[in-house]
Order: sequence, then C-alpha cells, then structure tokens
Amino acid sequence: MQQNCPGYSDRRKYISELVNAAINQAETTGKKKKLVWLELNGCSGNIISLLDGFEPNLEYMMTAMTDFIYCNSLVAKEGSAAMEQLFSVIGSDFILAVEGAVSKRENGLYNIIGRVNGTAVTGLSAVTRLGEAAEYVIAVGACASHGGVSGAKPNPSECVGVQKVLKRRVINCPGCPCNPDWFLGTLAYILLYGEPPLDSRNRPQMFYSITIHDRCPRRSYFDNNIFAEKLGDQTCMFKLGCRGPITPIDCPVRMWNNHVNWPVKCDTPCIGCAQFGFPDAMEPFITYNTTR
Amino acid sequence: MPQKITINPVTRISGFMEINADVDNGAVVNAKTKGLMFRGFEQMLVGRNPFDAVYFTERICGICSTAHSMASTLALESVMGIEVTEQGRYLRDIIHGSEFLQNHLRHFFQMTIPDYVKMPQNFPLLNARHNDYRLPKEINDRIVKNYFDSLELSRSAHQMVAIFGGKAPHNHGIFIGGATMQATSDKVISMLSILDSIQTFIEEKMLPDVYDIAKYYPEYYQIGGGYGNLLSYGIFDHYKELGTLYVDPLVYTNGDITPFNPDRIAEVSDYSWCKNLEPQDLYHQPIEDTKDLKAYTWVKAPRYENKPFEVGPLARQWLSGEYRNGISAMDRTIARVLEAKKICAVLKTLLENLRPGINFQQVYEVSVGGKGSGLIDTTRGALGHWVSVENRQILTYQIITPSAWNFCARDDEHPGVAERALIGTPVQDVKDPVEIGRVIRSFDPCISCATHVYTAGQYVKTLEVNV
Repeated sequence: MQQNCPGYSDRRKYISELVNAAINQAETTGKKKKLVWLELNGCSGNIISLLDGFEPNLEYMMTAMTDFIYCNSLVAKEGSAAMEQLFSVIGSDFILAVEGAVSKRENGLYNIIGRVNGTAVTGLSAVTRLGEAAEYVIAVGACASHGGVSGAKPNPSECVGVQKVLKRRVINCPGCPCNPDWFLGTLAYILLYGEPPLDSRNRPQMFYSITIHDRCPRRSYFDNNIFAEKLGDQTCMFKLGCRGPITPIDCPVRMWNNHVNWPVKCDTPCIGCAQFGFPDAMEPFITYNTTR
Repeated sequence: MPQKITINPVTRISGFMEINADVDNGAVVNAKTKGLMFRGFEQMLVGRNPFDAVYFTERICGICSTAHSMASTLALESVMGIEVTEQGRYLRDIIHGSEFLQNHLRHFFQMTIPDYVKMPQNFPLLNARHNDYRLPKEINDRIVKNYFDSLELSRSAHQMVAIFGGKAPHNHGIFIGGATMQATSDKVISMLSILDSIQTFIEEKMLPDVYDIAKYYPEYYQIGGGYGNLLSYGIFDHYKELGTLYVDPLVYTNGDITPFNPDRIAEVSDYSWCKNLEPQDLYHQPIEDTKDLKAYTWVKAPRYENKPFEVGPLARQWLSGEYRNGISAMDRTIARVLEAKKICAVLKTLLENLRPGINFQQVYEVSVGGKGSGLIDTTRGALGHWVSVENRQILTYQIITPSAWNFCARDDEHPGVAERALIGTPVQDVKDPVEIGRVIRSFDPCISCATHVYTAGQYVKTLEVNV
C-alpha cells in the first residue's frame, strides 16, 4: 500500500484488490461485520448508486463483505418489525452508512423514518442513537456529508450533515450521488485495515485528493485557451462554469456506471457535486461565459 | 369496533411513508397515506438561475432523477419558446426510456418480489416476518435467482442512461435543445447491445415470474382497484415521422377515453398542511397552514375535473390499448412488467432512427420573464413542472409528481387514490398486514418525489399530534 501517493491509490484496480482482500479476510475469519444503511432526508439516490456498483457489486458486498442488516429501500420487513431489525445492531460491531441530511427543524420531525411503540422515530434521533453506537460512521453523498441539496438555501427543513450532530469521527464521502466505488473502496479499507487516511475534512484521501482539473482529459484545451462556448462542445468547459478546478475527486480516471462516462465527457461542465458547499457554493451550474 | 393498524415505515419504496388503516370484519374500511419527509424544493428554487433547474430538480429523487430533468427542460423550453429538433427529442427520450428500464426492473425485483417470494434465510436484509408464501419451491427458487440476476440488468440500464447522459443517478445529458452529446455509431451499437440483453431478460425471466406470482396470488386481481380513473400526459408520442410509439395524452373515466386537457388540473389542499390558495393556478406559490387539524400529510391533492386520478404503467397500458385486463393491484404489477417490454421496443426504434454527428446545443439566453410548463409521463406516471421567470430568475416553481397523484390527500368527497384502493383489502393478521403493503407497492410509491417538493413553512407543534 502506497498511501502517500494518491495517484497510485486512485487506480481503478485498487478497489477490486481491496475488496478481494476484504472478502478473503471475511472468509478466513468467518465473521463479517454488520452494515446498516440509514436513509435520512434526501433523494435515496446513494443506495441507487450503490446498486449500480460494478466490480465490486452489491451482491458481493452483501454475500462476501458484510452482513447487510438494514436499508429502507431494500429491507423485506416493514413497520415495527423493520424498526426492531434496525436497532437490533446496537451492542454489536457494526458500520453505519448514512445517506441524506439530518433535518433539525422541529426537533427532527421534518423527517420521520419509522415508528417504535407508537412514537415517531426522527432521522435526527436515529442517527444520534446509531451513530454513537457504531464502530465506524460513513456519510455517503453530499447531503449526509454537509447538507447538500437537502440543505440548499433557504434550507426549509434545517438540514445539516451527519458530523454536525455527532461528537465522534464521521468519514465523509461527498458526491451527488456518491460513486459506488468511493463508498465500497472506503468500506473495504475499513474491513481490512481500519480507518483510511483522511484529509482535513475527513474525506478518504485515496479518492478525494486530486482535482478534476489536474487530471482532466481536456486539460490541453485549457492550457491552449481553447474553450467551449456552449454545452455539447468537445473542448474545455472552464468558461461555462466548470468546477473541475476546485473539486478534488477522481471522476476523470474512474468515470461512472461501469466506467463509461462522466459529466465532462458528456460535453457539460462539472458542477462540483463532490465538493463541500454543493449546490449553493457551486452555482450557477450553467453560464455561457463566466469571464464575460 | 374497527382495529387500527399503523405501518411505518412502509419499506421497499423511495422515501418515507406511513399507512393508517381501520380494519373491520377482516377488511380495510378506511385508510390514510402519509408522506413523512420534507425538503422544500419549490422554495429552494425561487431566485435561482432558471438553467440550473434541470440539474437541481433531478436531486428531488434518486431513483427517477431523469424524470425531473425531462420535465424541467420541457418547462424551460416552454418559457423560452424553443422548438426541439426531432433528433434532439429522440436522443433525450432514449436517455429517459433507459431510466424506465432501471426503475421497472428494480421496483419489480427488489421492491415487489419480497412480498410474494420467500427470500433466502442467510440474508437478514431479505427476511420478511409474515408467512403468506405460496409458490412451489421450484418457482420460488427460480425467482430468487432472478432477484439477484436482475441486479446486473438494472445496473446496465443505468449504464445506458450514462452512455448519453454522463452519469446516473443525476444525469447531465438532458438539457434544453434535446441532449448535450452527439450520437455516434459506437455508442448506438453499445446501447443496442445492452438493450438486447435487457429485453431478453424481461421476456424470458421477468414476464414468466410475474405471471407465476399472479397465478398463485389470484385474489390480487380483485384487490386494490380503487377509482378506476386513469390519466396520462403522454410519452414517446407525436413524433413527426414516427408518430406515437407508446401513449398519447389521454384520460379514462366512466368507461370513456378522452383527450387530456392541462387546463383541467387543479390542486386542492383541504387535508394537507400545504395549501394552494388558488387551486386552479399552478403558477401560484403554495403556503402552509400547519394549524389545520384536518390535515394529515404534506402531499396535496391534484385533481382532474375535480376527481382523483391514478397515473402510472397501468394507466398507460390501458390508455394505449396494450393491456385492459382489469384495474387491481395485480394488474398494476403486470402492467409494469409489460411496459418494460414495450419500452425496449420503443428504445430500439428510437436508436435505429438516430443520426450520428448532430450537435443540438446553442448559446441560450435566459428569458427576462415569462412562464411555462413541462408535462410528461415518466416511470411512475404523469409529472408536471410549472415555472415562472422574472428578471432572469425563477419566480415560482411548482411540481406535481406521479406519487402526488397516487398518494394524494383526500378531499371532502373523495379519499386519495391509494387510500381508496386500500378500502376492501382483506387483512388476515392485523399484526402482519402483508396485504396492505402489496397494494401500496403496486403503485410504486416515491415519497421523495411526493412530499418534499412543497414549501415548508412555520411548522407548529400540531405536527406531533397529526403525524
């Protein structure tokens, strides 16, 4: 492991290697850690993105890497039985993955995720209880990491990221959504070695250390002052408001959905969805010449 | 004396929902569907750059994000008076159609199947509590295998979205003018090749699976019908050369099919905390009245000619004449699978008619002012965005999602669509009312879409009483 060289650890293969090693370890020890996926106030797009994971995929994750205990979008049980299953992990070793923001308005009542003995369970109370008991907490996606779109101004439901309501370390994997590799690679690292090397905002360095601009395949157009005038042009998107220069993430080398495409290759600007402050700090998303 | 049942959370849906049902003599006599998450997108959109609505509104929903990029793009084109070329339409409809496949595969296998099929015991995630499983072992095992095999196909459907859309969820490719990328032959053939495997899976696995479930759970043809009012804004329709490949904007009520007229939509809100004081005016920003003790949900009540209407795959299959067996929970589930097959055929036609090497984009100028709407059918049914622009900024934004139609609040005369569909549903065991979940999931609820879109206001303590 060459942790001090982010370029090395960003290679696509690295994730499969980590995951295979984690699987081997789980098989050898015969004990898998429990995983809880807690959906809060958001679009539930990060679990959809996880379902889009490819090498590793969800099937591997739930058969070989972890005991997958709970996820509102997938769990077979419903009602109070589902809530019992969710909170049954307290007292055992488990990893908590959270997607969606924590709504603080009216003590959390803007996001009710279930009911226990007739009492509403808010996202705020669930993340507090589970977050304090978990061995690791991973915030998956922009909303869980820093509020994201759910917390966009004027933030009607007073949404914040998970770290704002927990006094313990939260590993942040921002992105809208989080690329499945960013989550699964982080999970695999935890299973193998414990907490991965993090940057000052608790993002795993192996994914979040080099800007899109530094590795953009259209960088030569930027260097030669050849700029796109409109979406659909195949040159540098800088003057259309591309946030690649301020967004440290590996989209240009990893890409999305079986590694086939990403926003700049789609002839559109990066909108900085993997950077803190998205969306408000990244808007306007589309302008026709920011230097005018 | 009726027994009261509460299910919260209703899992295997997108978002958070509670069902309250009164059960008397073994059947539901009264029901309430409640959306329990709020973000306030319409309020967030006010003052933003109109162009940003496309990528912003996608974030309403992670499972059907492409739907919102379509409706917002259509609404902006309507404000700006932009006419889209046929090739531009084809390309973005291909991205949107691919999203249908991802949704239908996942809703049928990952969200519906655990209601009817006993899942393997070694996955705590997949063990249900009820015990109403009726499939012979051989069929049960086959569908369990397809549950897992389907994951590869739904993943490839999202790969199709990404090939022309950049990424999924939350694509970048659908925009004013059609799409941002140009078609190229390598991409087209890649799409056709993935489509071929998805189509084979739907025809050889998904269709036999749904008909086997229908055979062993036949009473669901008589359960969960509801009003029988069906509505579609149209989808894959009125192409200049190709005509209508799927369904025109139509409504069905009292046995008659008539053309859909957008002016007949209104939003009533007597039982919702969110009030539209001008029910006929969809460019009116809603306000809140959380002190209203009658109210019980954030979902408002869209009405067509003052009546609740069901939207979604069954409505489209019925209106297009593809499937008219009946209106029930099972018919809804079958219609969704049949629609997945139909969408494959539509996508194939569109892909074969795509011409490579056309740039659909221009330098667009934001309108100084004006208003417009984008109405289109999408995975779960009819979706509408209504936007008005002033001083080059968004002044009002109104969204009525398919799940707002299907999971609407009641009005003085009518329970909501799903509430009405639940009435009469037999419940064998009030402690494990599996029947209610089966009826509700036949509508494919997306509460991320249905509730959070409304402007959230001063929310007083009555919430605790009402929710």
